[in-house]
Amino acid sequence: MRKKFSAFLFVLLVAASLVGAQQKVTIKFFHRWPMEPRFSFFNQVVAEFEKQNPDIKIEMDSVVNDAYKEKIRVLVSSNNVPDVFISWSDTFAYNLVKSGRVKVLNDMLAKDKAFADSFIASQVKPFTFDGKTYGMPLTIDGKVFVYNKDLVSRAGVTTMPKTFDDLLAMLQKIRGAGMNPPLLEGLADAWAISHYQGTMLQRYMPAEVLAKDYAEATGEFTNPGYKVVLERFQKLVDFMGPNATSLTHTEARNLFLAGRLPVIYLQLAEFAFIKAANVKFEWDYFNFPAFADGRGDPGTLTGAPEGFMMSNTSKNPEAAEKFYKFLLSRENAAKFVKDVGAPVAIKGAVNATNAYPALIEAVNLINSVTGSTPWFDNAVNIKVADAFMRGSQAVATKDKTIDQVLRDVQNAAKIVASEAKK
Amino acid sequence: MASKRTLKTLEPLGFIFPGVAILLIFVYYPLIQNFINSFFRFSAFSPSKIYVGFDNFKMLFQDSVVLTAIRNNVRYAIVSVLIQVCFGLVLASILEDKAFSKVAIIFRTTFFLPVLISVTVVCLLFSFVYNPMDGLLNRFLELAGLGSLARPWLGSSKTAIWATIAVSQWHSTGYIMMLFIVAIQKIPEELYEAAEIDGASKVRRFFMVTLPQVKEMFFVTSVVTVTGSFMVFNEPYILTRGGGPGTSSTTLAVHMYQSGFFKDMMGYASTLAVIIFLISAALAVVQLTAFKTGED
Repeated sequence: MRKKFSAFLFVLLVAASLVGAQQKVTIKFFHRWPMEPRFSFFNQVVAEFEKQNPDIKIEMDSVVNDAYKEKIRVLVSSNNVPDVFISWSDTFAYNLVKSGRVKVLNDMLAKDKAFADSFIASQVKPFTFDGKTYGMPLTIDGKVFVYNKDLVSRAGVTTMPKTFDDLLAMLQKIRGAGMNPPLLEGLADAWAISHYQGTMLQRYMPAEVLAKDYAEATGEFTNPGYKVVLERFQKLVDFMGPNATSLTHTEARNLFLAGRLPVIYLQLAEFAFIKAANVKFEWDYFNFPAFADGRGDPGTLTGAPEGFMMSNTSKNPEAAEKFYKFLLSRENAAKFVKDVGAPVAIKGAVNATNAYPALIEAVNLINSVTGSTPWFDNAVNIKVADAFMRGSQAVATKDKTIDQVLRDVQNAAKIVASEAKK
Repeated sequence: MASKRTLKTLEPLGFIFPGVAILLIFVYYPLIQNFINSFFRFSAFSPSKIYVGFDNFKMLFQDSVVLTAIRNNVRYAIVSVLIQVCFGLVLASILEDKAFSKVAIIFRTTFFLPVLISVTVVCLLFSFVYNPMDGLLNRFLELAGLGSLARPWLGSSKTAIWATIAVSQWHSTGYIMMLFIVAIQKIPEELYEAAEIDGASKVRRFFMVTLPQVKEMFFVTSVVTVTGSFMVFNEPYILTRGGGPGTSSTTLAVHMYQSGFFKDMMGYASTLAVIIFLISAALAVVQLTAFKTGED
């Protein structure tokens, strides 16, 4: 009996030690794409990583855009920071960095030159603050005017606009041919407004004025140029008709995909939707034209990368780093291009074998422009961006004048500056 | 023996304890914490707070959006009491009438069905209905020869809040109606018979018998509706993308949410939460006194 009992104990001990040996390291991974095709992509990447690393378990969680912005802020300010997580660049990234819980990647990049050099250098900059890199980009993007060639040529437009006045003339011509609205944006989405305004401000205003005003501590927004830009934005809104304020960007894009809208301002990442919709018309695109009297560089492209960050409070930093590098490897980036159809910041990942011609052209465009302008709502403090975006909605519905909007913007800037100084 | 008696006196406290504890932890503690937070300025990004005294309250009185929000909440409350409570009672009374007894169940179910659908789904549904280009509502108006009335319902600052309020009425009237049906079913039949013998018409019976008998329920539903109107969030947040266009359809709860989670002004959002609490508490007290409930 005693022997049996001892044997039982022995077996129990061995079993317990085996379980202990097999105990997996858990890495928390948080992203913002619970929708297809990106959701499946990340599921597959995680499954493949777990297969290659049986001792590491990836706990993946995801919520959509706005909810993600809120949740990641709360998580980063608590002690519950995910090991690996996605972030927008510029101000959004900087705000997360300010929490002091985001890992500085300089050491890792210095040790692994091959990994560091696999990224398009200009796209790493928006994640670098005071010489420290806090994130590496996965996606890259840019915003361009996409047009339905059939509709536009039917209206007699043969050359694409070089200046803002050309653009207005083109829209006028399309409208004259009975296609109304010639241009449409879902103005119910405040961020869609910020994409227009960010580009227009960059094209029109001197760079040093923007640099001073976009900085939290010194922003005033008193330059008369802001009024000019808002007035010109309103000219575009006038072409969009009375329905624009009740539509979302997705609804406007669907109208374009259905061949009912001649021109739309789209992100390069949205080319995937045009391809997936198998549209019956031919299409092309052009960068936002220059202002004849503008002081900003007309050669830049508005758009910013999104990339991954790591927590500096991770319990398993080695495993997290391993997963991080796997996630951003050239193989997975190439798979992303193939599955999702959006451009990425990893060199050589977009090629003829996995991308359609328009996507290759889009990446070439990103590589050829003189610089990139961050999304306006990421470039300035959100209080200022909100005053611009909500204010412009109110101007579109004739509830506010541009002067009133600018007063709101200046007041918001005062609050932001006073907070930054304290 | 004495210890047994002590145990007996302590026994009820034991039963009360879990309830009180939950109430303290989940209701009163956050409430007090929120009051304290309203005197600080802080960001969701960082755990440190800066004491600012009454600055947040001063900002509240200078914030024009607060006025818009209160105005919209008041509109919500008035329309909700008129449609959900008053019209809900009329509906209940009609469906409980003998004349409708055979078809009542069909109507009762039909009117109650929207309550079972999640607000988010309802809002998405109505965003299709209100779509200015292909939406059901504008198409219907055009077909009916009323094309001049078609408009971007959610995209115009004049109609956005009313279109939002209409969705809430569609969604919630059935619930209040059901509560009134239960109350009406409890009214003794003799009262109606006596009124009938006295020659009272159906309308008079409604005012002289039904209405006084469902007074308590009327009070409860109007308190729930009015306080609900001051906390309404989902409908404007989803339908008009956070109270747009501009801030025309914003409500206090949406403004609080936007201030806290979008503009990262957590202290100011707490101040707005204090105002929402004070308004709904004050309204409940006013209604409590006006209806003199509990005396029957």
